[in-house]
Amino acid sequence: MHVVRAGGGALSDEDLGRYRAELRAWISRNLPPRPPGADLRAAHDITPERLREERGKQRALHAAGYVGITVPEEYGGQGLTQEHQRVWLEESSAFAVPAPGGIASHVTLGIVLPTLLVHASEDQKRRWIPRILSGEEIWVQLLSEPGAGSDLAGLLTRATRDGDAWVLNGTKVWSSGAMAADFGICLARTDWDAPKHRGLTWFKVPLHDPQVTVRPIREINGSAEFCEEFLDDVTVGPDMVIGEVGGGWPIANHMLAVERGAGAAQSAGMATRERTLAPDLVALAKARGLERNTATRQLIAKAHINDYMQAELTQRVGGAIAVGKADPTSASLIKLGIGVRDPLRAALAMEIGGRAAIAWPAAARDGSAAAINFLNGRIYSIAGGSNQIQRNIISERLLGMPREPSTDSDKPFREVLRDAQRWGAREPRDS
Amino acid sequence: MVQLDLSEDQVLLHDTTVRFIEAELPIGQTRLLHDDPNGYDRGWLQKAAGLGWFAMLVPEADGGGCMSGDGLADAAIIAEELGRHLQPGPFVPMNVVAAAVAAHGSAAARADLLPELVAGETVATWALSAMDGSVDDGAGVGFDGSALTGSRGYVQDVASADVMLVSAERDGEPVQVLVPTAADGIELVPLDSLDRSRRFAHVHLDRVQVDADAVLGGGAAGLEAALLTAVVLNLADTVGAIDRLFEMTVAYAKDRVAFGRPIGSFQAIKHILADQALYLETCRAGAAAAAKAVSAGDERASEVVSMTAAYIGDVANDIAQECLQVHGGIGYTWEHDLHLFLRRVRSNAAVYGEPSWHRERVCTWYGLGEER
Repeated sequence: MHVVRAGGGALSDEDLGRYRAELRAWISRNLPPRPPGADLRAAHDITPERLREERGKQRALHAAGYVGITVPEEYGGQGLTQEHQRVWLEESSAFAVPAPGGIASHVTLGIVLPTLLVHASEDQKRRWIPRILSGEEIWVQLLSEPGAGSDLAGLLTRATRDGDAWVLNGTKVWSSGAMAADFGICLARTDWDAPKHRGLTWFKVPLHDPQVTVRPIREINGSAEFCEEFLDDVTVGPDMVIGEVGGGWPIANHMLAVERGAGAAQSAGMATRERTLAPDLVALAKARGLERNTATRQLIAKAHINDYMQAELTQRVGGAIAVGKADPTSASLIKLGIGVRDPLRAALAMEIGGRAAIAWPAAARDGSAAAINFLNGRIYSIAGGSNQIQRNIISERLLGMPREPSTDSDKPFREVLRDAQRWGAREPRDS
Repeated sequence: MVQLDLSEDQVLLHDTTVRFIEAELPIGQTRLLHDDPNGYDRGWLQKAAGLGWFAMLVPEADGGGCMSGDGLADAAIIAEELGRHLQPGPFVPMNVVAAAVAAHGSAAARADLLPELVAGETVATWALSAMDGSVDDGAGVGFDGSALTGSRGYVQDVASADVMLVSAERDGEPVQVLVPTAADGIELVPLDSLDRSRRFAHVHLDRVQVDADAVLGGGAAGLEAALLTAVVLNLADTVGAIDRLFEMTVAYAKDRVAFGRPIGSFQAIKHILADQALYLETCRAGAAAAAKAVSAGDERASEVVSMTAAYIGDVANDIAQECLQVHGGIGYTWEHDLHLFLRRVRSNAAVYGEPSWHRERVCTWYGLGEER
């Protein structure tokens, strides 16, 4: 059996087997096992010493050839296939893969890197991508604003020309892990007289610039993963513009599609069936002595089936997107699936936990884990495009429902802002 | 379509099946059979047999054969179209009986019965459930080696069948036995049913004599294999039905105008439909994976099938209900086809185990609660 190599030639199972063997040997010598429950470190846990140390580990991982496996060699990658990438993911999943910026490192490699590979200039890719792969540059997305979340194209951060350079002003929010990051990929408005989707441009913004203030946001679970950033006359050169001036929206759409599917193809490869019956919930039930209780068993099975079905959906839809058999927009099905199934699972865990999930001895993990998951249940119902936005995308683009009449997409953005002010003051309609 | 990677042969099978259904018994005409005592026409069933409807799970040596080498996948392609077009008749139980006889039947049963089943000349059904509707490993019927006594409940299309495969118990072990429906000692109690494309009846057996050739081997494993086959085909039928109903609903939301706009332009409707699209796609993914797990002899096949049956059993009904909601009043009328799908889908969710029964099976499969 052969799979097609990106470059054209055929890749045999034997080649892949050899690759797997080498990789496995390297991992066992160089990576410690992944500690339980510690895959995404909160931003406030990342100290400067730790950041430096972890960057060194990523540099070593990159030097060994295991960062940027599918990235072309001219940008510091390995130029290998998705199959190689899949082997890496399978073999490394039980080990502590360095992620110096915590979640920001995942954003850098999982979202920013694929976006730059498509939309950055040749010169930018040659300069930036090797530094990204080696861990020297950690990036975050500067996307949402206090006044622009679901309606991202309504953002107010402005970039104004100053000779050759651009000056940025505005506030960004919900950037995961920005405390540990070096740069932001920032969407700003460069034309206020164009319709909202046509006056946007992408910039690379240095977060260590003195004109940038990064502040963590404390979340409902008490930790601080997300940040807000204040840009106060931040000046960047023309070489920091990504894509065309005014051409930011199609790039944003592409980036969001990448984020939604989390590279749907990749997640399909990773979505293997749980090999055990919802272990967290079984532990919770056993802690309460309820593992024979009929009602509890039904709840456990429901949660387990919920997990399994989402994995099958991801595999089907992600797989179909990967081979060009499904519209990439279908990634919204995967995203909505997570957005509706996470809260359901969190609620099932709370019911199984009962009082043990609202109060627990300090050393008991099961109850507190259920409580944290309850608080976190809506993260993916909101982040990366809310459930409601996914439902609009699915119904309009996949099912072909007529679009919502738009009151703002065809007029200059200035007028959109003005008319919104007057919205509440409109004359009531005759009945 | 449930399966994504159809071979050319399978595409041909699909297209032939659809053409046959549209020519012989389109949905509009299925209604004419709702008050027919059998619910279907024997001549029609024999024509369908000519297309291989009952041959897919029977080896070529016994007169059967499938299109792709994966008989269950091929049968599932047909089952999906039967659901989509609300076709009557005992397709699932007949295929279960054919597969069970092919796998575990005596030489005589294979030689006599299989060619007739494949040709549609003999109609078979499967008497699986206890009188309370549960799947009970045969406990409701005792078999002493020569005679069967006991009851089976909710047996599909048994009044029109010539032979039934009865799940029974012998010395505490499940055993499956072929019984002619005309044998002495059998009493049928016909039932009214939610889904008018099927007939159900209770069957009472009082010292019904059978000969040794009628007893199938396979024991508990054989019964489990038959159940997995039935559930997989039944799920394909359900997915076909909701797929069609959802298509109708999407089309209706684009056509129906209210407040000066197609109702599909309102988010209240769009979001209902988007959710159903998600659930339907998940059902498709699950049904395809379940069929694959059984065909491949996956060691987790029982778990995978029960997870999928529990999920689709619940969700397919929710989808159908939301389709009714989007249709509004017109969907509540007798002349609209919507209720036929609603009936079919809900009935399917009960015939081979309720969702809660399948969920309990998942816990049992993992041995939850057995230690201590």
